[in-house]
Amino acid sequence: MSHLIIQDLHKSFGDLRALQGVDMVVEKGEFFVLLGPSAAGKTTTLRMVCGIERADQGRVVFDGEDVTGAEVRGRDMAMVFQTFALYPHMTIFDNLAYPLRQSGMAKADVVQRVNEVAEMLRLGHTLARKPGTASGGEQQRVAIGRALVRRPSLLLLDEPLTNLDAKLRFDTRAEFKRLHRELGMTIVYATPDELEALSMGQRIALLRGGRIVQTGTPDELYTKPQDTYVAGMVGSPKVNLIPAIRRGADDAPLVEMPFGAVQNGPWADALKPFPVGSELIFGFRPHDVAPATDTGGDDGDGGGTMRIAAKVHLIEPLGDVVILDLTAGETQLKMVLPEEQAIRYSVGDDVPVNLRVENSFLFARETGTAIC
Amino acid sequence: MFGKRKERGLREAGWGQTLFAGAIGLIYFFPVLWIIMTAFKTRTDALATPPKFIFTPTLDNFVSVFWRVSQQGNEAISTGFGLYFFNSVFVAASGVLLALIIGTLAAYGFSRYPLKGNDTYLFVILTTRMLPPIIVIIPIFLMFRLTGMSGSYYGVILLYAAFNLPFSIWMMKSFFDELSGDVEDAARLDGSSERGVFFRICLPQLKAGLAATAVFALILTWNEFLFALLLTGSDTRTVPVAMARTIGGELGVDWGLLAAIITLFLIPVFGVTYLLQNHLLRGVTFGTIKK
Ligand SMILES: Nc1ncnc2c1ncn2[C@@H]1O[C@H](COP(=O)(O)OP(=O)(O)OP(=O)(O)O)[C@@H](O)[C@H]1O
Ligand SMILES: [Mg+2]
Repeated sequence: MSHLIIQDLHKSFGDLRALQGVDMVVEKGEFFVLLGPSAAGKTTTLRMVCGIERADQGRVVFDGEDVTGAEVRGRDMAMVFQTFALYPHMTIFDNLAYPLRQSGMAKADVVQRVNEVAEMLRLGHTLARKPGTASGGEQQRVAIGRALVRRPSLLLLDEPLTNLDAKLRFDTRAEFKRLHRELGMTIVYATPDELEALSMGQRIALLRGGRIVQTGTPDELYTKPQDTYVAGMVGSPKVNLIPAIRRGADDAPLVEMPFGAVQNGPWADALKPFPVGSELIFGFRPHDVAPATDTGGDDGDGGGTMRIAAKVHLIEPLGDVVILDLTAGETQLKMVLPEEQAIRYSVGDDVPVNLRVENSFLFARETGTAIC
Repeated sequence: MFGKRKERGLREAGWGQTLFAGAIGLIYFFPVLWIIMTAFKTRTDALATPPKFIFTPTLDNFVSVFWRVSQQGNEAISTGFGLYFFNSVFVAASGVLLALIIGTLAAYGFSRYPLKGNDTYLFVILTTRMLPPIIVIIPIFLMFRLTGMSGSYYGVILLYAAFNLPFSIWMMKSFFDELSGDVEDAARLDGSSERGVFFRICLPQLKAGLAATAVFALILTWNEFLFALLLTGSDTRTVPVAMARTIGGELGVDWGLLAAIITLFLIPVFGVTYLLQNHLLRGVTFGTIKK
């Protein structure tokens, strides 16, 4: 059964249309990520799910029950607020105990539960203090702990890792995954960070300007982006997007770019109806570009790869991989190589590269939507 | 250069600065100090020219606040000031408390559940305080006569509550506005009732604001003269009114007595302000300092 269904959710703040028809379905026990840039409407969506914001239009169905206009209290869900929203006048212990006490849990059980959570989040030493005296990272962990402590069946997380340092972020990420596995909670996780989304989400909904652009598994978003925005948002380093023109015969389309033409991509059939001269955008991942030197001339087997004559323009080492910024004529493109391969190149070198056409994307330039 | 400035800013004040600040403080405090000194002077010392700074203190003035000698000269008769002090405390405390309770509830409503035209309502509430009291006193006096509230405790208490309400609402509303709405939403999600949100989440965060509002309202009420003069009776008379009645008579103004009354009258306000001063400072600067 679907645990959470959101249908056609609209919300305006005065003239500002924050949500313009959000639809999503979250399955029971799923780790669902709401990915979107700042002001996309992530927080607004989560607030409507828990009922603290009223929808202008649309429905929220939780556990098979329409909760659109229902009371906030008593929902079997907890939220980690982006602003933490800790109770400033209570000690951290009381903050963590608050949801349990509200549910009328026995004193001894409260103490035990709070201590468990505090230990897990390494908050033991802070329990007697007020949140105002805790560090940003500690405050964030208190917020997380307060949401986890009553083991809700749905956990809403609004950018819960932003204030943690790298190591703690890594640990907490693993902790969320473990909790998700062990407690079987459904998690809706809002983040602007694409890496976080790809590494944690079982499914991702990409939100932009109050609309969901695409929903799918990380793999689907990566390999079948529905438009240039998704292609650009998912994947690092960023996808290469090259302006192109449709050429060739009606039933044998050709995509012409400044540095050459390609055909027979996965988009070839869908491109046929487009008139010759249509403006397109050709996209490919930096991971799908490789130096052509070793393979020599054996790329003649029918359009599997495309040869591009490029020059190294810039080298960005990123630890074990290196991004090479290349220029092919006037056009810039990126290639990712393992470090041991990349050390062979220096700025200004000529590098013939092969592009794997089978993994490429094609978009209509005007609308940005995928042709496939 | 920047570093030096910062260092200067952090340094403790030197002796010169301390003396200077002390001198300014003394100038402000001098009238109060003079009154307190006068309270301990005999009639001749009080009227002496040039004014006396060194004198033998006496408690006579304080005794005569409460008792005077009877015409026969052998009995001590109560002046009624014990009652007047009680009245002042009782009326001011009740009026302020009532204003604080109603004001806080109203402010929460205005802040969290704004009506259509919220600002207009708030403005209208404030307009009642824009007129000088002398203008509204006559209709109020007549209303009190008509309803029989003249001279009763509850009449003055209600009036003082009404008198403090606009200010309490405005002040408390600004404090509520400063609170993070997310915190309240979190409490609701954590299972709190609306009542719990107000009493357990909002109010405890506003202790400082409540204290500040209470002290300001208390000072205004404590010193209020005009309404008290016209609306209290002999049993419910407050100290400012009773004090005014000691002026005049065949002996002229008894400065020592008056100073003694004022000195006693200052003690409760001093006390309350002192007790709440930490809260008070936080209340006044509320929101200007990021927590
Ligand atoms: N209470 C409000 N009043 C007015 N505008 C609001 C309110 N809440 C949100 N908005 C607006 O709605 C839009 C969506 O906001 P939202 O907080 O949902 O974004 P977000 O995706 O969470 O962004 P971020 O990553 O920065 O937190 C923004 O343009 C924001 O300014
Ligand atoms: Mg947000």
